[in-house]
Amino acid sequence: MKPFRLHRRTMLRGALGGSTVALGLPVLEAMLNGNGDAYANGSGLPCRLVTWFFGNGCAVADVNNTGAGIRFAPGETGPGFAPTPQLQPLADRGVLEYCSVLSGFDIAAAAEHRRGHHDGVAGFFSGYPFVELPPNGANYASKFGGPSIDQVAAERLAGQTVIPSVQMAISKRIVGGEGPTLQYLSHQGPDQPLAPYFDPREAWDKLFGTFTVPDDPAKPARLSALDAVREDVRRLQMRVGANDRMRLESHLDAVAQLRGQIDALAPVCTLPPQTPQTNDDVEGQEQIEAVNAVMSELLAIAFACDITRVGSIQFTGSVGYTVFNNLGISRGHHDLTHDAAENEAVDQATIFTMDQFGVLLQALRDMPEGDGNVLDNSCILLGSDAAAGLTHSVFDQPCIVAGGGGGMLTHPGVHYRSESGENASDILLSCLQTVDPEATEAGGGIGVSTTPCSALQG
Amino acid sequence: MQIRSLLLGAAALLAGGCYTGVDVSGTGAPSGGSDSFTTTAGEGGTGDTGTDSDDGVPDDYDPSPVALRRLVGSQYAASVRLLLGDAAADAANPPDDAAINGFTAVGAAQLALGSAEVDRYEASARDIASAAVGAGTHLSHMDCTPTGPADVACMREFVQRFGRLAFRRSLENDELDRYTTVGLTTAGDFDEFYAGVESTLAAMLQSPLFLYQVETGEAGEDGQRRLRGTELATRMSFFLTGATPDGTLLDAAEAGELDNTDGLRESAFSLLEREEARGALGAFTEELLKLHELDGLPKDAVAFPTYDVDLAEAMHEETRLFIEHVGFESGDFSEMFDADYTFVNDVLAAHYGIPGEFGEEFVQVTLPPDQKRGGILGHASVLSVLAHVSSSSPTHRGKFVRETLLCTTIPAPPPGVSTDLPIGDGTETLRERLEIHMTDPSCAGCHVLMDPIGFALESYDGVGAFRTQDNNKPIDDASELDGTPVSGAAEVGAVLRENEAAHVCLVRNLYRHATGHIESDSELDALQDVTAAYIDSGYDLQTALVEIVGSPAFRLVGEPL
Repeated sequence: MKPFRLHRRTMLRGALGGSTVALGLPVLEAMLNGNGDAYANGSGLPCRLVTWFFGNGCAVADVNNTGAGIRFAPGETGPGFAPTPQLQPLADRGVLEYCSVLSGFDIAAAAEHRRGHHDGVAGFFSGYPFVELPPNGANYASKFGGPSIDQVAAERLAGQTVIPSVQMAISKRIVGGEGPTLQYLSHQGPDQPLAPYFDPREAWDKLFGTFTVPDDPAKPARLSALDAVREDVRRLQMRVGANDRMRLESHLDAVAQLRGQIDALAPVCTLPPQTPQTNDDVEGQEQIEAVNAVMSELLAIAFACDITRVGSIQFTGSVGYTVFNNLGISRGHHDLTHDAAENEAVDQATIFTMDQFGVLLQALRDMPEGDGNVLDNSCILLGSDAAAGLTHSVFDQPCIVAGGGGGMLTHPGVHYRSESGENASDILLSCLQTVDPEATEAGGGIGVSTTPCSALQG
Repeated sequence: MQIRSLLLGAAALLAGGCYTGVDVSGTGAPSGGSDSFTTTAGEGGTGDTGTDSDDGVPDDYDPSPVALRRLVGSQYAASVRLLLGDAAADAANPPDDAAINGFTAVGAAQLALGSAEVDRYEASARDIASAAVGAGTHLSHMDCTPTGPADVACMREFVQRFGRLAFRRSLENDELDRYTTVGLTTAGDFDEFYAGVESTLAAMLQSPLFLYQVETGEAGEDGQRRLRGTELATRMSFFLTGATPDGTLLDAAEAGELDNTDGLRESAFSLLEREEARGALGAFTEELLKLHELDGLPKDAVAFPTYDVDLAEAMHEETRLFIEHVGFESGDFSEMFDADYTFVNDVLAAHYGIPGEFGEEFVQVTLPPDQKRGGILGHASVLSVLAHVSSSSPTHRGKFVRETLLCTTIPAPPPGVSTDLPIGDGTETLRERLEIHMTDPSCAGCHVLMDPIGFALESYDGVGAFRTQDNNKPIDDASELDGTPVSGAAEVGAVLRENEAAHVCLVRNLYRHATGHIESDSELDALQDVTAAYIDSGYDLQTALVEIVGSPAFRLVGEPL
């Protein structure tokens, strides 16, 4: 008897095999109103939110006086500021005008100063104090105390796109030993960190590869399997404690999400062919620039096609040990940032990192939409987990809010320096309001903000 | 049989003071001081606690809350191998694990599955099902010959038999109906019975009943929740063999053979005779010793020109073989700390400078004494992982000994402290720079717990090769560990072997790995008994494993949260 085998996933990549990347006009003209800046039904163009993270902070201004701040923000404030060496790459890529630099903020959620890096990343990106897990003689670990701002946005935008959000990571040199806080950038809640895609091919699969052709013969079997699984999860929920019920709820959401994706028709948009780019080391070195370029492009296309409106990119990890071989650096980044003798190398890493951030902004800017571009209708929040690795300070961490935010964000960008150490959660609230103008607060507990950052208002 | 060892040397360290009191005994004994760091495991033993139940459970026993635990990747793959064979296991592609408190098992018991994981499980299940049907291994779960695509009885038989193994208990009627329907629907769509088998196989492999260890326990007359027979069989099987229980073990569990601790121990011993038990120990040490980090571990090519993938793989294999040997051959697992032998092939012999003729095969060798190696702290694998990209790291190495081998949590640097190494004149050794660092009292409190242990290992560079110089100055590896002078890996290991805390810690780590949680005070008490039996046995690992299984800490669970 010959065993029968179901057809493997018949993907659009097969249907599109050999087609070239054709971009543009993803939002059909017919859907827009006469001004080209809003859907014909009166709603605004879709607005997107991205968080973009690099670990371990910046170089200090003066290694002999670590209280003198970091090398990042310009001396002058307001619009039209002259870029510092750290911001120059953004000017070189022609996207500095889209960037507002925010300095002098403090992370209210980290006011208890419990642990370096954990304070910085969880406080900055969620506005909640992180949750410490008593180690009782084991390794230290912590979780985010609440959802990261990208996931708050994804929850507000639920149902509007096929995929609620996508998580990407560029450098693989991240630490997994101190719990989800350091390992992941996106969190739906303390027990729900979202693992990123490191491999651009997997990111492609998620964003563009799951749309089945309408008559895919494997589709009914996949859907009926998921329905059976859903039933098992529901029944299991009745037998476990409240905590596990919540975890299973997340499992159910993911099953429903996958079901919806299998069932969805491909958007009216030219999808890119699968990328050949891997995230494998070559001769023991990472391919950071190549991976970052492809990930940035994939995210830009996914936005343009309105497949998702929320993304996060973990460029390097918190306490991560990325080796910037391309800069002639031979030490891991975290190690580097804790050695005062390496301050100049840390600065070079920051400058390179900002250049790579510029790659994403360029990709979004080069994607036309309506009478502008996708960057006009996006809000990109850049941050780190400390002002500088040397100090672990959560005061004046590097921060940029880029993009037009659909007109909600000031353009051209400004440098705003807080003289009173305002709560960094104010910035989260401003970003959240670009996708949900009704939002009234961001963060929670001692980190909560109800006052958006006025300097960002467009 | 309570072990109460509060080390005098450790107590003396405390007087010097990490900025918060730290339990450096690793036994969970109180560390003293009114502002004790809050991470001690509480009282180390309750001494005269009564044991009223007939299975040795103290009447005030207070276990940790039970939680659903997702199979970690190695368990998922090993289970697929057991159920559906090698071709299916090769197709398995589960999502990555995430560790909490150093253990993926703990992460698996706390974190929820998200979209990326569920997507991956679906793709993996379909690939496994396709490979299994391709290889014909699904046929081992059915005796019937289908009369056609609509053969209900035959589909039901397959679901019942495969489902019992995949879900580790007999299926309930609604479950049988559900997965039979999945199979028959697809069989009808394709007019082919085995298309239906593949379809329902893929479905069952996505079920939470396969993906999670479901443990609810059952409250007894004494109010304690004991794991049900099949739950206990499952917990034991994953712990000792790394895979789901087979039909024989499930039969024994359903027949009540695991309900008494003698039967349970007997069953545990027989599982340890299986080849998979070695793989299960390997998975534990892989995590404990961070060996998985060797895969893709970056090292600077200028500082370490001989480091490459072949060397990293050889390092990995050395430690795997060594642990398997002390776990299953030598009978004395404490040799892991200071054995004067190891396993090398040609690549590693060259790395260690061991003279003689070697080939690709690993052979056991006695370590030459000149490099002061002995036990795992002399292994290039461990030394490479516990190092920076272009240098050694006395701090990482010391932290590993304290946290992982002695179960002593090192607190975070206090706020406002600059964590940098001071800039010297460029001529210092790493040890000298760290020693300047330790003149700062706010750093010294904790670094004195870590760095001196690492100083004793400074003769091994960032890839574990022996060296006599750092930054063109002679290496100084004379140091001390809890009051005993040490220099080199063998001497550090010998001090650890004499320290009861190291053996308690091993048992605690095995338990955390086995159960997915950090032990409660009651559970720690019970594990002290396990440790005593382990020490009495002359450090026979299998005694430790079986005694963990027989312990109330393993058999009982608390109410779920």
